[in-house]
Formats: sequence, structure tokens, C-alpha cells
Amino acid sequence: MAKDSNLDALPRVTCPNHPDAILVEDYRAGDMICPECGLVVGDRVIDVGSEWRTFSNDKATKDPSRVGDSQNPLLSDGDLSTMIGKGTGAASFDEFGNSKYQNRRTMSSSDRAMMNAFKEITTMADRINLPRNIVDRTNNLFKQVYEQKSLKGRANDAIASACLYIACRQEGVPRTFKEICAVSRISKKEIGRCFKLILKALETSVDLITTGDFMSRFCSNLCLPKQVQMAATHIARKAVELDLVPGRSPISVAAAAIYMASQASAEKRTQKEIGDIAGVADVTIRQSYRLIYPRAPDLFPTDFKFDTPVDKLPQL
Amino acid sequence: MDQNNSLPPYAQGLASPQGAMTPGIPIFSPMMPYGTGLTPQPIQSTNSLSILEEQRQQQQQQQQQQQQQQQQQQQQQQQQQQQAAAAAAQQSASQQAPPGAAGQTPQLFHSQTLTTAPLPGTTPLYPSPMTPMTPITPATPASESSGIVPQLQNIVSTVNLGCKLDLKTIALRARNAEYNPKRFAAVIMRIREPRTTALIFSSGKMVCTGAKSEEQSRLAARKYARVVQKLGFPAKFLDFKIQNMVGSCDVKFPIRLEGLVLTHQQFSSYEPELFPGLIYRMIKPRIVLLIFVSGKVVLTGAKVRAEIYEAFENIYPILKGFRKTT
Repeated sequence: MAKDSNLDALPRVTCPNHPDAILVEDYRAGDMICPECGLVVGDRVIDVGSEWRTFSNDKATKDPSRVGDSQNPLLSDGDLSTMIGKGTGAASFDEFGNSKYQNRRTMSSSDRAMMNAFKEITTMADRINLPRNIVDRTNNLFKQVYEQKSLKGRANDAIASACLYIACRQEGVPRTFKEICAVSRISKKEIGRCFKLILKALETSVDLITTGDFMSRFCSNLCLPKQVQMAATHIARKAVELDLVPGRSPISVAAAAIYMASQASAEKRTQKEIGDIAGVADVTIRQSYRLIYPRAPDLFPTDFKFDTPVDKLPQL
Repeated sequence: MDQNNSLPPYAQGLASPQGAMTPGIPIFSPMMPYGTGLTPQPIQSTNSLSILEEQRQQQQQQQQQQQQQQQQQQQQQQQQQQQAAAAAAQQSASQQAPPGAAGQTPQLFHSQTLTTAPLPGTTPLYPSPMTPMTPITPATPASESSGIVPQLQNIVSTVNLGCKLDLKTIALRARNAEYNPKRFAAVIMRIREPRTTALIFSSGKMVCTGAKSEEQSRLAARKYARVVQKLGFPAKFLDFKIQNMVGSCDVKFPIRLEGLVLTHQQFSSYEPELFPGLIYRMIKPRIVLLIFVSGKVVLTGAKVRAEIYEAFENIYPILKGFRKTT
């Protein structure tokens, strides 16, 4: 901007008394003033900055001084290209009603697929309300994978979905594969395959999922109070520590723990409801519940207020 | 057979797979499959053997196998004493001698003749002292053998019958053959004796799956070739090759997969959402192992039996380290 030009080029004018002084620009009057003595060295300097007086009443959405989209320098190798917009007047349409100037393509052919994927990632993340940092991480991962070209044959959407999954894991807030499936058109199998391939290609690894990662999300989706959520977290953690559920997926254990905690409290939820939220079948919840039921009194936290006592918990 | 019993005298400190008649060929030569106890011996070309002869050979081999196992057990005890004496210094990865490798018959299982005859009097040169802790092989302490032998569950082999086939006539005239060109472009034939399934393609190539041992796979492939021959095609038996071998075993104790994936991150992949077992991709014999919480292990990707045994001997000490204590 105009301020930077002070440092870039030597000013063509200098104060006669203080040649070393860096002149200060006064925008309001368009003057260049020497800070030492206050002499106005150059006046009526043309300001190269943007038009700061935009009238807000007409064409409020469009700011004619801003051209081009916000730059994405990290990802798309700089986006300095511009394109001619669609015509608005009558002269821009030929006799059949088609617009005369049709060439809106060939913008950035090298990164077209990548920009498409970024758009898709943003759409997917938006559906499950993921914060911007996860989206940025996903974009970075996708760019790395795309540049490596080792997964070139795979559908970009599949790679994007897998990158989203990895980004959620890396940020410490894992989403289940089923949750990513729900916002993507790719099957869980394909996302799983791409996930493994990407980990190999980027030579990274991710932490193992634990039951506690999903508790807050599942419990809030089920509108369970905080005590039940804390109790369910405690139950799941103790169940894994005591190795009551060897070989079971942490999601299933979490779902069973939520079921047990909710059934012991005033806010009871059925297995079907929990299964819908967690993406596990209700028979799976039943299986895991059967494994933790015998040790139920040991699993609850000590300060838990039982609405239904432990011996009256449903046994199935 | 005598050569199997005599171990090179210097091999007390270095690794020496049991029954290795290793000539002066380094481990990583293409002739020497993975430097293990596979002792290739030249045999006559078997392309023209009849099926009956093969069956007789198979029985003989089984008898020899039993004798071999007894001999190898004696050898094992000898070697254990030697290893205990040599204990500390040379802790190299290739000390995991696959004792199970000795359980196999020393004869070749594929038709190509490998002419790596053992050179008498030469001592094997192992690069093992130079690479003490290679990242490709899981680092393991010196220990005695596990005593568990993985059982082979499936062998996949291919053979070229050497002539173009008309799948329609095969499907119509052969028994136990199904052919659905819209679904898959091959005839699927099954036989009962070595209980196997074969995919027969119109180019003349055939894939034989389901056999439990190398000899059975070969025998079954020959039976299929005989069936095709009887239907009137000039079938030959070219390039029989075993493509994949699957073995399984049980270590008899539960395993902490989370610990294993933490320490062996570069080799393991454990995603409970995707698959309940841990997928361990071993590099030194290139084998994929599926390790389950119950202690059952499935090994696959081997081209020869010795790779399965070697892979299991490599993984067993690691699994012992991750045994569940409760």
C-alpha cells in the first residue's frame, strides 16, 4: 500500500534541510511532510491507495475498489488472475438470449481440481459445523497429497473426505467415519482406504481414538445433562481400564456407557436413539452393554446421583 | 539329509537358521530366499509326472516330514544349549531361527529347478553383524523358539495350461463347473479331493485356491489340468507357481494392541472402526500379519512356507512383550 512505499523506494523528494529524514505522508491534505522541521516537501501527492470514500447507498454489496477474491497464497500459488463478469445491460446478450462474452473458463487450469476440492471440503465441513482451523488443516493435507500425486487415481472427493477425517483426528476432536460419510458422497470403505493410503503417503500417523473423544458430542446431541455425560465418560474409561470390553470399537463402548448412564439417571434414552446418534447398531450397544453390566456398580463415579438404582438397571 | 544335521561350527555366535545348508551366498541374493532355512535342492523336472506318482511322492514326503521333525527337535535342544552359551554379544535380528522351517520337507515345491547346491566347506557369510538393529526388522531380544508352528490355511497358485480354451464347452461338459460370463469371465470349477476351487480363463491360465499345502495345491492343479485335458483340449502344465500362502496360529494369551501400535507405529495400522485386528506389515520377510486381541494371528503374503515361519518367529517375542497382564 501507499504506506509501504516509504520504505521501498527512495523518496524522489527529500527535505532540503534534512535529506536523511523519511517523509511522512499526510493523507488528508496529500502532503509529504518532513518530521524534523515540519516542512511540507511535496504537496498534492496522488494517493495510490484505494478509494476510501465508497458511497454506501448505491450498489451496497459491491465495493468497486476491491478487485479479485481474497488471496489464498498458501494453497493456490497466488490467485492474481481476474475474469470478466457477466454482462448486465441489454447489449451483452445476442439475438438468442445467450450472453455474448462467454469465456469465463480457463482461469487457473493447473489448480482447478484443487480449488474444486477446497470448495467441497468447505461444504462438507460446513455441514457438521467444523471450525476454520480444521478446514485449513484439511486444505493443507489435501494440497500435500495432491502435489505428491501418489493417490492420483483416486476420486478427489474421496481424498478430500479422508483428509477431513485426518484433520479432525490431528486436532484432537476425531469424527467417526460414519459422521464423515454422512456429509460426503463417498462410501465408508473408500474413505477408509484413502485414509490408510494418505497416512502412508504423508508418512504421518494419528493417535488412537478413545471413548472420551466422542462423549461430549454424543451426549449433547442426545440432550443429556452434564452429570450424565460425566458419568458416561467415567463408565467408559473404567470399562476400558478393567478390560471388560476387549476388542470392541471405542464407539460401541461409548454408546453402551451412555446407555447405562442415561438409564440410571432421570433422562433415559433408548438404545435406538443412542444408536442413531452414534452410528452403531442397537444390537452392538446391547452386546457391549451385556459385557459392562455385571460390573455396573464399580463403573459409576462415586458422586453420581442415581435416579434408578444400579440393581434396577435394565438387563438385556 | 545329513547336511541338515551338521551346523557350521562357527555359528554359535551368529545366527544360523536350523537346517541351513547355506552356501557362501549372502542373504539378500535372489537365489537365496530371505536367507532362511529353505534348503533348495535340485530335482528333476516334474512337468511330466503323472498324478499317481505325485500322490505317492506326497505320502513319502509326509513320512519324511515326521522323521525330520523328530530330528529337528533334537537339534533344537542342541541349539538352545549353544545359544545359551553364546548369549550376550551378537544380538542380531536374524537370530530368530525359524525352527518351524525345519518342519518342511527339504524338497522344492515348485517345478522350476533351483540349482543352488551347497558348496561344501564354505562358511556362510551373514551380513547380520553389520546391521544389528535394522529398522526393517522388528528389534527383538534373543529368546528361545516359541514352540508354536503356524498352520497353513490357504495356498493360491497359478498355472498355464498352454492352450486357448472354450469356456462354454468346459462349463457344459465338466461336472462341478459354473460359468456366468456376465458376472465373471472364467469358469469356476471345484474338486473334492484336495478341496479346492479353480478359476479357468479362456487364455488357458488357471488359478487354484483353497489347498492346505504346497503339494496339495500342485496335485489339485494337475487334477484340473487333467479334467481340461479329458475334455479334449491339449492342456499342458507350464509355470506352476505358488502366489500366496496364508497361515494362522494362536499365541494363547491376550494382546494389548494399543501398546503395540504405539511402539511399532511405522509397521502397524490399528483402526477399530475399520477392522478389529491390528494390521502389521513386516518388511524383512514381506508378510502382512493380522493380530487380534484374543491372541490369534493370521499371516499372509508369503510365497514360501519359510517366510510364514520366519515372520511368526519375529513377531512372537514382540507379542509376548504386549501380553495382557490381567
